[in-house]
Amino acid sequence: MNSLSSRLLISVSVLLLLFFGATIAVLDTAFTEAGEQARRDILDGHIVTLLAAAEPGADGELALPARMREPRFGRIGSGLYAELLGMNGVLLWRSRSALGLEIPQGVVPELGKQLFARESFVDGTPLLTLSLAVEWEFDEGDSKSYVFKVAESLDSFNAQVAGFRRQLFGWFAAVALTMLLAFSLLLRGLMKPLRTIETEIGEIEEGRRVSLSNKFPKELTGVARNMNLLIDSERARSDRYRYTLDNLAHSLKTPLAAMRALLNDRQSEQFGKQFGDRFDEQIERMNEIVSYQLRKPAADKLVLKAVPVEKEVARLIDGLRKVYHDKGPDFEVRIESGMQFRGDSGDFLELAGNLLDNACKWCKRRVRITALASKGARSVASGMVLTVSDDGPGIPQDAADALLQRGMRLDESRPGHGIGLAVVKDIAHSYGGQLSIGKSDLGGAEITVSIPPVSSALSG
Amino acid sequence: MRLLVIEDDVTLRESLVRKLRDSGFAIEQAADGKEGLYFALEYPVDLAIIDLGLPEMSGLDLIREVRAKGKTYPILILTARDRWEDKVDGLSAGADDYVVKPFHFEEVEARVNALLRRSGGWASSVLEADPVSLDMTRQELKVRGEIIELTSFEYKIIEYLMLRAGQVISKADLTDRLYDQDFERDSNVIEVFIGRLRRKMDPDSSIAPIETLRGRGYRFALERNQTGSPDS
Repeated sequence: MNSLSSRLLISVSVLLLLFFGATIAVLDTAFTEAGEQARRDILDGHIVTLLAAAEPGADGELALPARMREPRFGRIGSGLYAELLGMNGVLLWRSRSALGLEIPQGVVPELGKQLFARESFVDGTPLLTLSLAVEWEFDEGDSKSYVFKVAESLDSFNAQVAGFRRQLFGWFAAVALTMLLAFSLLLRGLMKPLRTIETEIGEIEEGRRVSLSNKFPKELTGVARNMNLLIDSERARSDRYRYTLDNLAHSLKTPLAAMRALLNDRQSEQFGKQFGDRFDEQIERMNEIVSYQLRKPAADKLVLKAVPVEKEVARLIDGLRKVYHDKGPDFEVRIESGMQFRGDSGDFLELAGNLLDNACKWCKRRVRITALASKGARSVASGMVLTVSDDGPGIPQDAADALLQRGMRLDESRPGHGIGLAVVKDIAHSYGGQLSIGKSDLGGAEITVSIPPVSSALSG
Repeated sequence: MRLLVIEDDVTLRESLVRKLRDSGFAIEQAADGKEGLYFALEYPVDLAIIDLGLPEMSGLDLIREVRAKGKTYPILILTARDRWEDKVDGLSAGADDYVVKPFHFEEVEARVNALLRRSGGWASSVLEADPVSLDMTRQELKVRGEIIELTSFEYKIIEYLMLRAGQVISKADLTDRLYDQDFERDSNVIEVFIGRLRRKMDPDSSIAPIETLRGRGYRFALERNQTGSPDS
């Protein structure tokens, strides 16, 4: 059950069923009870009529006229019957309508009381009966007890109830169906924007559309906007990957060609000894190209995490203390407490790691790292100014610019300096930041990376 | 010196092991993390070279396990990953230095020597204890400035003793750490070589560089000129 529409339709159907079910039950009970009460009142009236019409007859018993005022007593099988019973249930009179029918005896009420009962004829026809037991005083002064009994067939009443129910069910079914139909139409309308998004995404996949349109209801504009951001970044990323891959493949081809040429030249005699060194040179070139690509910034900056600067720098310094154990540089750390870098933690380690590593390589004794938070006017997260300086020989200004180029080196005996800084520059740029090389008051190089606050870097 | 090399790439491991043996190291080798851990915990090892990307058990887990079991010998990691994230993870796990692949053998050898020296508490690759000095890079022993000609096995013994100057080294330790093959093990050989070393370094018995502690072993007895802080 994964469709929202069918889930909603089923819930609504169940609700309608419960609601209408309860309504039908209540209405049905009310109708039946009101109907029965009316029947009882009528029977009550008939008993009174019978009492009024009864007179002492010639044989010393009560007698009723053969023809009653109520015509239904006179019509055979009319559904309304009456009888007068004497002592011990002896039948004294029976209405003409009951000709050929045996009204059941039933329970005789106490003297002076009346009693309603549901009984039935032998053939099963249901009856509502009212019996009244009376003590009749004759003029002579003696008195006898009698039972007046009226019975009415419930056939017509039951038919009436059944009809009522049929109508009730019919109408409610019609109303429920109409409501469901209306609801599903409404739902289709509501779901339409979702289907539009689906269609538009399909079109984007097929390349017939660049981004989602902005014709969506308020609740969906956020989704559409984020979807567009995602699509854009995904596209940018795949462009970047393609470009990187292309670059990488091409840049590897040159050393490969050189290696093949070297292999061919090896056959010629005078080449001999240099072969190993020159072959190794090409391998080193390939290694640098690959290593540079591997250390490039994390491509995905959609999700910014908070990297604890102080903690990560401490880890780096612990590691570097081991690596530069013999030199034993003095580290001076000035970091705003609780400061965070917004981005990929690998990128931060790469920034700080390369700068610190270079500083350790070049310093005489002292290495200083400072990190300050920079705040923008409408920034979501603060930026960072990271400075690493040392007391080494420093970097001449003219070489500084060249050093920022990929793979350029100042000193071949300490490889990797150039790549490290090129990687730092790339990462800084990928966060919209800058890298600058200057002179430190410690005497050596001072390298500063400034990363702007987040709002101006990404959404600005 | 007995080194443990844990590397899954056959070509790389064999080349490394061959060159390290040529440089005079005794070698144990393993091709996966589990086997490597067994060697690392059960064998007398002076230094371990561990690749981070190992089958069965990652290099990082292996290093953590070795350190957790209280082993303090230096660990050099070989890694194909040269992002700082990976290096820092390795160093935090308990490694002491790293070499990024692809590497030149000389680089590995230099790091190994430096780590061994550091673990012995020496700050420079020339171990000096007047009037003796030993240059680990050149594998050269001088007494009062004169170069002493040594066989490679004699050199191994004096290097081992000097690296651990002041400590008592048992004969069993020396045979364990210095012999690569089992069949050569015979403690008398050690006595013979120690005797020769003494005669070569100290013909007139004036400086007594190597002390014998009966039933316990040998000790390089001269005071070090300078001491770095030993690695923890």
